[in-house]
Amino acid sequence: MAGGGIGVSYSLKDLPKILPGLILCVVLGWLALQWDASMGELRKGYRESEAILKPHLELGKPIIPYEDYVKAKEDTYKGALTLYQLGIEKVKPSKPYILPKEDYEKLIQDKSPAFKYSFAERTVQFQLTYVALLLLGGMLIRNTVGVPKIFQPGTIAARPIIKPGIIILGAYYMWSDVLRVGAIGLVLVVAFVMGTQILISIWGKRAKVDDGLNGVMGSGVGVCGVSAAVAVAPVVNAKPRDFFYAIGTILLFGTLCLFTFPYIGKALGMEEPVFGAWVGTAILNTAQLVAAATWYGHGALLTANIINIVRVGFIPICVIWAIWYFIVRPAKQAGVDSGQKVSAIEVIKEKFPIFVLGFFAMVTLNQLGVFTPVQKDMLGRDLLRIFFAIGFAGVGLNIAFEDLKKAGGKAFVIGFASATLKAVLGAIAVMAIGAEAFRVK
Amino acid sequence: MAEINKELEAKAKATFSAERKEDIVVLVIAAIVVILVVTGVIGPKFYNSLFFK
Repeated sequence: MAGGGIGVSYSLKDLPKILPGLILCVVLGWLALQWDASMGELRKGYRESEAILKPHLELGKPIIPYEDYVKAKEDTYKGALTLYQLGIEKVKPSKPYILPKEDYEKLIQDKSPAFKYSFAERTVQFQLTYVALLLLGGMLIRNTVGVPKIFQPGTIAARPIIKPGIIILGAYYMWSDVLRVGAIGLVLVVAFVMGTQILISIWGKRAKVDDGLNGVMGSGVGVCGVSAAVAVAPVVNAKPRDFFYAIGTILLFGTLCLFTFPYIGKALGMEEPVFGAWVGTAILNTAQLVAAATWYGHGALLTANIINIVRVGFIPICVIWAIWYFIVRPAKQAGVDSGQKVSAIEVIKEKFPIFVLGFFAMVTLNQLGVFTPVQKDMLGRDLLRIFFAIGFAGVGLNIAFEDLKKAGGKAFVIGFASATLKAVLGAIAVMAIGAEAFRVK
Repeated sequence: MAEINKELEAKAKATFSAERKEDIVVLVIAAIVVILVVTGVIGPKFYNSLFFK
């Protein structure tokens, strides 16, 4: 993103146009979260079944009758509650999960958890969470039955609804975390993100790719996907064809990353903060990187969010670079006045994504102790999922294969190769730096 | 070429103006949510109450 809602404006005038698609995304988001809630509940059954079976299978102890099992659970809970009421234990115990009678009896009979519990456990092992359902399901719908026209503007407008989630996630951070991870993120962004833009600009020039296509590809692949490409296009005299090539490449690369990175991360044994730092550096688009990080785990999301905040802050700098490299520098070399007056402050004022300020406000409020631990969890885990689910539904429904086919030509090879190189080097760098440097405590 | 450039410049301006508006809407939504949580209008059971168990 930053602006996932390109082509749709948020105004009361446009509300009737975007409402059907927004409602569709809300419904799909709810269904996916309902799936997560149901699977979460069933997983409790799996864990409980395993806990009951363990002493029997490992030590040969008999499984007690159901009534005794229930009584033992209730007694343990009452005991813990008494300790809490006496002030001996500080954390209030939560009510125990008790396996339903029919499942308990089936467990005794089969000596293995019921199918529904094992199925729920498998969905987590395969990371089939609400994120995967919305992205894969949305993509499937878009590319098979299609999205009727009446819903399309709303599905585009739904994507930026991820942003309030990014802001309220700020309730989880202290400034020390933001500054520590942000400082490393700044180094990564400068090295990899700006580095990619510079690499593509120089490589493209040598390969005699048009300045227009080269500039749009460099900024899009390097910094922030479609937004940066749109920002740089007029600066480098990009033709509409250049623009479509670049956007096709960005979308194709982002989509591949989104669906493969969580599995690559697991295969490489990346801890959550390391994965967060990796996607924050390597994936080009806010919605896609937030989705990939959420897919991986909450720790990954906390780190990826900071790196992303640093990255989107670089859009104005990327525009300034493009003006200098494609306009000012060649004009100076030719000994003529480019006529281009660059006001860095104007560019920053015009292009800076101001939603980032909301995130900083949240971190400050947390630092001041405004939120209780329960409120932090409500904001940064529960309510955040509602915003993300609606946004991810929009992302999934807008992955169209016909858009991805628009990628092509020499610039595609340069853009794709550079983005892949950035991802590989980024992975090596973040793994070498290690999880502790990126962990948000 | 100049015409295409103008067209893209206009698209870039329109995009960033739409993004600015989008960011403001996003900030307002986030602020409302935070106020509702801090004042206790949205409680700890709100999220779970949205789903069937």
